[in-house]
Amino acid sequence: MRRRPSVGRILTYAILIGGSAVMAYPMAFALMGSLCNLEDFYANPWFPIPFSFYSENYRILFTPEFMARAAIWRWMGNTLVRIVWYTLVTGTISVLAGYALARLRFRGREAVFLYLLSSMMVPGIVYWIPTYVIMARFPGIGGNDWTGQGGTGFVNTFPALLIPGWVNVYFVFLLRQSFYSIPLDFEEAARVDGASTLTCLRAVYLPMLKPVLTVVVIFQFVATWNEYQWPLIVSSGNPKIWTLALGFQRMLFIGAEFKGYPPGSAFIDYPFSFAMAVVATLPLIILFLRLQSYFVEGVKGFALKG
Amino acid sequence: MLSPILLYYSFFFLLPVIANLIVSFTRWSGVYDKPIWVGIANYKAYLVHPYPLTLFNTALFTISILLIQTTVAFLIAVLLNQKVAGLGLYRALWYVPTLTSSAITAQVFFAFISPYDGILNAILKAMGRPIVIWTISTLWMRTFVIVYSIWRGVGTPVVLFLAALQGIHPEIYEAAMVDGARGRDLLRYITVPLLRPMIVFVLITGMIAGFQIFETVMLITAGGQSSTTSGGGPFYTTNVVLLQIYRDAFVSNKLGMASAGSVITAIILLWFSTTNMRLMSRGQLER
Repeated sequence: MRRRPSVGRILTYAILIGGSAVMAYPMAFALMGSLCNLEDFYANPWFPIPFSFYSENYRILFTPEFMARAAIWRWMGNTLVRIVWYTLVTGTISVLAGYALARLRFRGREAVFLYLLSSMMVPGIVYWIPTYVIMARFPGIGGNDWTGQGGTGFVNTFPALLIPGWVNVYFVFLLRQSFYSIPLDFEEAARVDGASTLTCLRAVYLPMLKPVLTVVVIFQFVATWNEYQWPLIVSSGNPKIWTLALGFQRMLFIGAEFKGYPPGSAFIDYPFSFAMAVVATLPLIILFLRLQSYFVEGVKGFALKG
Repeated sequence: MLSPILLYYSFFFLLPVIANLIVSFTRWSGVYDKPIWVGIANYKAYLVHPYPLTLFNTALFTISILLIQTTVAFLIAVLLNQKVAGLGLYRALWYVPTLTSSAITAQVFFAFISPYDGILNAILKAMGRPIVIWTISTLWMRTFVIVYSIWRGVGTPVVLFLAALQGIHPEIYEAAMVDGARGRDLLRYITVPLLRPMIVFVLITGMIAGFQIFETVMLITAGGQSSTTSGGGPFYTTNVVLLQIYRDAFVSNKLGMASAGSVITAIILLWFSTTNMRLMSRGQLER
């Protein structure tokens, strides 16, 4: 059968290419802008074109003087440890809780689900101060006595960046819905073969959940990479445990200092702040490009036995 | 299996919520004074300008963003699920605005709508039309908040729908095709029903997130800067509940008002979610 380009197909390409251009515009703008000197940057407000190819904004990050003031690699390490930890913990908990809420039958299942969901409905600002107090007054930690007085608890220590937030309700909900998308026949077939609940989860569900688990990894990675508020509240006094999101703020100021601006005026130099933003965003885009093949592949090569 | 998870969760959830509820009945600057019990005065204050307007704006933004964004995302995901040349690139690009830090996206967006040297006014000038001071127009600023939010946020539902489409086991299609189902039937009787749980997920989480819209409004209406004080204009007409909560908490030091705002937000969302419980459980395949 010969295929000729139909109207629908041309329309598909038009939407995809046009849409992609709109989506790519800001990142391209920032990338080009970051390579401009100020003159080039303001010469063309529609789209900055780096005629002079000004690479100083990036080179500055790799000078020994800059590296000595900003512990980039250490902050990167802290961030990666958090990402791996939170991906594993929230991923495991979401699969287990999602399965329980979608497949197990028990009294009050809907009530438990709504109880979990309700934490998403309370604005985040409500949690910050009490969670800080919980961390600071944790009994027996950081010089605290058993009533939680006397010391600083987990504040300004790395565990404070690993203890809260294990139950990510967004992911629990996502996994619950994904279990609903899988017909019960698959589990029943495995049960006939004598599989236990955990075996079913591992051998039947996990392969089919691969696309959605990839989404969990991507979302958790991006969220932890960008997370700013909680690390700021609980670790600002100890730069050794800072994450990159906190570090970038510091780097913006150091960079402005290196370029000879008076203190506090970093924001005037758009090319430089764009360069920092590009450095902060590119790893995420590379990660996304690499990981998306996992949910593009889908669930091929897995057969229903029974 | 669920109980240790619930225990840990309750510890970090209930304590803050109860503390917040108590503070919402007090007047407290949170700095040097002791909280004074004022009963429901803070909740009564929510009936006086500008608070009702912030609630209206929040609802307006939530509904328009949710409807447009979900529809667009669904169509794009179906398109991206076909075999077209350069697919990987398109898929990645739809998610790029979500990944890009708001410092970039808000700046670039403001380069368009800036009243005096912005790109939109440059186009109007080139066409010989009078320029528009976008930033003092309620209609335009509301439109821009919605457009920016959709552009920034559409990547998330696209990724979710795409993952759900890819998660449909090929054997289910094969079985249906053996039974004689073809093209359109497959979409209607297999794809859409199996996608319903994900549609429900996108709608519910989108509503919860939409009602807490805050950063977008602040960035767009404060000229691309992070400023709690100057966002929400012109004349509060783009002000939203979360922005008002921040302003009460950190600018005017009215922690009681801020806490009451949080309680009201939670109650509205909770009410909305419970009334949609039927919609939510329709997402189940179980017999």
